[in-house]
Formats: sequence, structure tokens, C-alpha cells
Amino acid sequence: MKMTPALLVIGGIMVFWASVFIVIILPSIVWQEPPSAAWQPWSDDEAAGHDLYVRNGCSYCHSQYVRVMDWGEGAERIAQRGDYVNQLPAILGTERTGPDLSQEGGEHPEDWQIAHFINPRNTRPLSLMPSWEFLGMRDIRHLTAYVRSLGGKDATFRAQRQEEWKPQAADAYAGGPAANIQWLHDHVPAPWHPMPNPYPATDAALQRGHKIYQDFCAGCHGVVGDGNGPAKEFLNPPPLNFTELRDHLVGGQYIGGIFYYQVMNGITGTGMPYFKRELESEKIWDVSNYIAVDFVGYTDAETAPLGIDASYEPEWKNNYSLPGADEK
Amino acid sequence: MSNDAGKPQSAAVAFMVAGSAWFALGTIYGLFSAIHLMAPEFFNNIPWLVFGRTRPVHVNTMIFGFVANMLIGCALYYVPALLRTRLWSQKLGWIAFIFWQIAVLSGPVTFPFAITQGREYAEYVWIFDLCIMISLLTLVFNCVLTIAARRQNMLYVSVWYAIGALIWTAGVYPIGNVMWHPSSGALPGLIDSIFLWFYGHNLVGLLLTPLAIGAAYFVVPRVTRTPLYSHTLSLIGFWTLLALYAHIGGHHLLQAPIPNWLKSISVVDSMAMIIPVFTVLANVWLTARGSLSRLWKDPAGRFVLAGTIWYLIVGIQGSVQSLPAVQRITHFNNWVIGHAHIAVLGFSGFIALGAMWHVLPLAAGRRLYSHRLVNVQFGLALLGLIGFFAVLTAAGLIQGVGWYNGEAIYRVLPEIAPFMVLRAALGILIMAASFLGLYNAIRTLRGAPLRESESPLQEGPL
Repeated sequence: MKMTPALLVIGGIMVFWASVFIVIILPSIVWQEPPSAAWQPWSDDEAAGHDLYVRNGCSYCHSQYVRVMDWGEGAERIAQRGDYVNQLPAILGTERTGPDLSQEGGEHPEDWQIAHFINPRNTRPLSLMPSWEFLGMRDIRHLTAYVRSLGGKDATFRAQRQEEWKPQAADAYAGGPAANIQWLHDHVPAPWHPMPNPYPATDAALQRGHKIYQDFCAGCHGVVGDGNGPAKEFLNPPPLNFTELRDHLVGGQYIGGIFYYQVMNGITGTGMPYFKRELESEKIWDVSNYIAVDFVGYTDAETAPLGIDASYEPEWKNNYSLPGADEK
Repeated sequence: MSNDAGKPQSAAVAFMVAGSAWFALGTIYGLFSAIHLMAPEFFNNIPWLVFGRTRPVHVNTMIFGFVANMLIGCALYYVPALLRTRLWSQKLGWIAFIFWQIAVLSGPVTFPFAITQGREYAEYVWIFDLCIMISLLTLVFNCVLTIAARRQNMLYVSVWYAIGALIWTAGVYPIGNVMWHPSSGALPGLIDSIFLWFYGHNLVGLLLTPLAIGAAYFVVPRVTRTPLYSHTLSLIGFWTLLALYAHIGGHHLLQAPIPNWLKSISVVDSMAMIIPVFTVLANVWLTARGSLSRLWKDPAGRFVLAGTIWYLIVGIQGSVQSLPAVQRITHFNNWVIGHAHIAVLGFSGFIALGAMWHVLPLAAGRRLYSHRLVNVQFGLALLGLIGFFAVLTAAGLIQGVGWYNGEAIYRVLPEIAPFMVLRAALGILIMAASFLGLYNAIRTLRGAPLRESESPLQEGPL
């Protein structure tokens, strides 16, 4: 076969456009994209936020579709074709340096989101996201509106739940430490109350807990557990000051199960996220012991009711005295 | 322009030197981005240095500025040279040059200020899309008329690839940038992603790849002074590249809710890409058979040889990672960034550099300023890129395997932190390579004229 100019140019164009027909024109003809059950249109603010999202290159680190094999944020809902109706552009992303955001709406309350945009490490010490403070509050509010819309009707449902709990949590905080801690305890299911931390607060466990605390908690609760982390100024209710717990233990004794439940489940309506996707059981028990020992000065680790100790446990005796015991 | 426009080959030289300059600028923006991933508050609250704005400058400058520029420059030399004629119009060549540079310049001028269409690789706003199109169509017109004016009846394989790259990209570019929607450059809804990845993939597949193969087919036989191994293999490689590559953009969306038949086509044709890759490599390497040391000892040949080896690696990797079972681990993480770097810098970039060091002296009529600098550049770029590939692949596997096991994004970030430091450090080697290249290119232009025996048109690859 001899390659003539005609074969090269005309042949090249024909084969190319035949391919375009198969992978571009044909899909365009047969494409159907009815809105999914969760889809809803954007408000003006949300559309303005999407525009900021596109122009500032957010999609280089955040994807917007959840896959069948995913575990992290948004994993409750696999992406559907009808989720992207009228999005211009539907910006799916190619990297997950940050989490997938397709279902981010309602994961966090608005104030957490703003604190996060101003400096992501306010709320997430491990984040690699740039600070967006330079955009100014108007743009940050638009971005926040957009992120809170992600997930469509499902996002609205979650965001409304945040809004329902937020005033109650804020009122409880305004009532002072005793009322606040009582409110927090009341919203932990009762079976968790008399549950001590089943694992020993060994030096190694406390060091592991310290690491978890710095990586996940210090932004809001502060490095010394007094609730004065950099995110505090943005959050209402503000983060809990752990040292106040000393005078408000459940039954004057229990603390481990309460911590475990709150870290696992978060406190919807407040800046406190659930960590059950990020921290598995040992890490939560370790950070609970760390917070208890370092900030409350007491842990209920290895106190009654006791089960059979796990086989790894060293010989360890809880020498922490109950708060108030030495003062009496 | 006015003085140089009439000189033979001046447009080709301009494209190549501009490519060297954009390579240097692109690495600087790469470093900005790498620093951010290492220390996100290093450039805290400096709007034009935010990661989301520097990354597209890096990516577009490397693709359109560095590799495409350099390879188009080479093509503007070898197409007329192989046809034993002159470029039909130097002036048109310069017009193409100027419009192309305006588009590339728009990257660092607009993206840092959040003026962008935001779709990956299609960020240039509409007016600059138009500049690219004017440039491409001018180049097609110029090259086709050059063919018409040829004094060598037979079209050598490099000419096929150069012409093909230009006419295909003139189709890929407006489709991918949805240029009939000037304000958004996108279609509403999920179907936009099909247009985007048809485009994103073919930017590499139907622009950089054919230009790089064309350049390799030009340089290798000239350096080794051996005839092309097989015309038949050339034909197979050329037509299978076109027939297969254009279909495989869908493999970027395997896990997204696009139609399954599109996914199937993309996976099957991605695997079939083994055919054009192996055909071309067999043809090039068998051409150099017995003369490998000549290729290795020539500074330009060394770059091209290394580029073909990267092509083997990136070709096999690309096919394998299109498989759904592999993508479960490799998608969404630094593995793909590693793949992209060996494709653009390793395969097409190394061949672009090699071809430029071969062609620039011929086109400019000047002796290469320093062979040693080319070799140092080669060493730095190779070391940097091998390290880059290893580091990013490792980081990607950590991310992908972690996520697959249910690890959250935030838990995995500290695990890749040391790799992000290494990648920035290795990037500095590549940056140094780009600066040396720019210096060498400029000194070559201002250096001694080429001797008679080295004159351009005496020795063809045929």
C-alpha cells in the first residue's frame, strides 16, 4: 500500500470522524438523563458557589462521584447519571487528595464549613487544602452554600437535620457547663452511660491517643483540651472544654462509653463530626483514654463492670482516683 | 518577526525555542504545585499561587507550551525537508506560531486569576481556544500545500504522523472544548464528561503521540544512518493508532455512571493499543538494530531512545490500568499522576527534546552549543523522572489500597507526606534540566554557523 497525500488526508479524516461518530455523536443521540430522585436545581447562591468551585480548581483534588467500592464520605449513595442534570459543567474530578464531595451537603453545619474554608486546618489538622480566606466572606458563603447543596434532596434532608439540632445544642451551651454537659449526656443512649473504657490507659495507649487527638481533635478542642482551638471563634456552639467534665461524670464515675459514642457518632448540629469512618475501635478507645487522663485527670479504664481482658492486655491497674475523692 | 519571517526554517526554530522556554516556566509552576502538596500554608492566602490555580498553568504549559510547541517546531522542519522542498509559507508558519503562543501565554495570565473554564486540560477560555484553532488550521493548510509542492514523490512516515496529528487535533480540540458554547466550554449534565475525556485522552493520543512518533521516525534513521526497517509496520502502526486511540477516552470514566457500552469499547481498545505501541517500537528499534551505540552516543539520539523506552512502559501501563480490576486501586490517586508524567515528559517530552537537539542546529544553521549540556540535561531529566514515577506510583498504591480497605482520605494523607517531599525534590532536577535546555538552545542560536558537511537537506532518513 502506498501512502498518497489523498489517502493520508482524506483517509485520516474519515477514520477519525468515524471514531467521533462512535464515541461522541452516537452517545449524544442515545443519551438519556432523567433527573434522579435526589436531584434538585441550584439556588443562585449555590450556582455562584459552583462557579467558584470550577474557577478555583477545586476539582483537581475533589471528585464528585461515589463508586461501588468506596467507603469514605458519601459512600451511602453510589453516583447516578441523573444526579448531574443541568450542571454546567458537571465537574467529576480525577483525584482524591481531598474527599469526594458529591454527597457532602449536610455532612457538617454551616459554621464548621466556613471555619474549614477560612483555614482547612482549623477543623481538619491533616488537611492539604489551601486556605480560602483571601476569597472574602461573600465568596466563602457562596462556596459553603454550594457544598451544602451537594447531594441534592438528600443533602437538603441532612442539612435540615443539622439546623434542627443546632439551636438546641447552642441553647444548652448558653446554659453553662453543667446544663451543657447534662444535655450532651442526655443525648447519648443510656446503655452507653455506665460503660467504662475496657482497655488499659498504658503509656503506649496514651501516646497513640495523643497522636489521634492532634490529628483529628486539636483544631477545635485545642492542644490542651480547653476548647480553645483555632476553629472556636467560628463555631456555635463552641467546642467542649474537656476540663469541665471533671465535675460532671455520669454517675460520678463513667466517662469511657460516653466518649466512645460521641467520637463515633459526632453531635449533629454542632461542629463535632462523626469519626466512625476514620477511626476504628482501638483508636477511639485510645483517644478516649488520652482525653480522660490528660484533660480530666481521671479515666474509668478497667473499672467495673469488667469483662474478660483481651489477650494482648498487660498487667495494668487503674490508679486514677475519682474526681473529688482527694479533695474530700 | 518581520526580519526573521523570510528566513528559511525560522518558524520551526521559533516553535522549538518557545518550547524550551515554556518547559522552564512549566516546571516552575510544577514546583509551586508540588510545594503546596508538601506544605499547604507555604504560600498561604496568595491567590495566584493557590494550588487549584497553579496546577492548570503547569499542565497546560507542559502540554501545549513545551511538548506540542517543540514537536510542531520539529515537524515544520522535517516535513518540508523530507519532501525535498521548503515550507509553503514561512509567514503562515509565523502566524501559527504567534497564535499558539498567545494561547499558551493565556494560561499563566488567566488561570492564576481564576479566569478559566475549569475542565481539566480544556481550561483555556474560548477566545484562546480560537487562537489554538487558528494556529492548527493554518498549520494544516501550510503543511498540505507543502505536500502539494513536494519534489519527493514518496511520503515518509514522519510526514503522515505530522499531518495526521494536525488534522485530527483540529477535530478533537473544538469537540472537546465544546467551542459552540463559548461561555462555558461545556455541555450541561454528565454527557460533558464524555466529551471532556474524549478530548483529554486524544490530546495525548492524537496530538503528542503522533508528533512524537513522527519525530522519532525522523531522528532515529538519521542518527543511526540505517534505512527504516519496515514500511508495512509503519502503515500498521499509523492506522491502528488512529483507529484505536480515538475510542479510549471512556477509560477515564470507568467508575462513573456513563453507558456500559462506552466503557466496554474503551477498555477493549485500550488493550488493543498494544498493537500500535509495539508496532512502532519494533519498527524504530529494528531500524536501529546493530547501531544502538550510535544512537546512545548521539546526545539527541539518546533522548529519543529513552523516549521510546518510556513509550513502551507508558503504553503497557496505560493498557493494563484501563482494566476495571486494576482501576479499583489506581483510579483517583497519584498512580495516575505518575502515568501522566511518563507519558508527557517521558515519552513525548524526551522525544521532543531529542528531536529538538537534532533539528535545531539543522533548522537554525548553527552548531549545537554544547553536547555536554544536552547530556547533563538528559541525566537530570532521566533521574528526576524515574524518581518521580517511582515516588508517585508508590504514593498512589498506598492511597488506592488504603481506600480499598476502607481507610479514609485523612488517614492516608500522612502516609503519602514523605512521597510529596521527594516528588518536590525530584521535580527540582527536572526544573534544572529545563533551564539548562533553554540556555543551550539560546546559546546555539547565537553560536557558530553549521559547517557545509552538516547541511540540512543532504541526508534524508529514507
